[in-house]
Amino acid sequence: MNWAGAVFGASAATALVGAVCAVGLKSIFHNILGFALAMLGVAGVFLSLGSDFLAVVFVLVYVGAVAIAMVYAVMLSVPLDLPARPRSRAKVAGAALFAAVGAAAIWLVVRGARWPQATGRLDVSAAWIGYRFLRDYVLAFELISVLLVVAMMGAVMVARRSRSSGEGR
Amino acid sequence: MNPTLYLGFATLLFGIGLYGLLQRRSLVAMLISLELMLAAVSVNVVALTTLTGHDASMGQVVALILVGVAASETAIGLSLFVAIHRASHSIDVENLSELKG
Repeated sequence: MNWAGAVFGASAATALVGAVCAVGLKSIFHNILGFALAMLGVAGVFLSLGSDFLAVVFVLVYVGAVAIAMVYAVMLSVPLDLPARPRSRAKVAGAALFAAVGAAAIWLVVRGARWPQATGRLDVSAAWIGYRFLRDYVLAFELISVLLVVAMMGAVMVARRSRSSGEGR
Repeated sequence: MNPTLYLGFATLLFGIGLYGLLQRRSLVAMLISLELMLAAVSVNVVALTTLTGHDASMGQVVALILVGVAASETAIGLSLFVAIHRASHSIDVENLSELKG
């Protein structure tokens, strides 16, 4: 348990630093790098929970695919040296207040709840997860594949230049 | 280990994501904040199913489904981002007011 605690502490700190960079820094490119760092930290948190397969999937999907796709989208569109307009102070304060109130409400619920204790070691190996996916959750599995195909085709349709409507702006 | 520790971490991550979603104006930054909030939800589900003795592999399955949903959401979001940028040469959400009555 000590090992898990150390891994959790280090990864949680990494994830929080990355998250703060992802929302706090001015440059959108630094935001994406902070997001990748945060997702590495979240993968470490999963590792400390003993779910190594999920940690690997998080690194593959978020750090590998999503962050790279975001970098591509930014490179395709935004001039990186474009100065950002300053944000009005009232809106920043309002956003901070709302987020703080929301997090405090969640924290109150978490503090008030009583959780049952774990009973023994649970099997979370990749083989068992795959077995569950293809036996108990096969409908969700198939729906996710359909959703991914539809999203991919929709993304291509939305993002491509339409030839017929003569879009030249 | 205590699940409260994990839930507290997820609460902080969710709060940071919520703040970013409300405060940032760039569409990509809002998408990043949304992904942070979804990751916090995944941490919650996995921590609770693993540490409170319920079906641990069910938590993993839910988290994997969340990863799939988040990935398709990112694909759609980024393509919308590219299309909006092409149409209006701006990704500032406060400029996207063409449909305002």
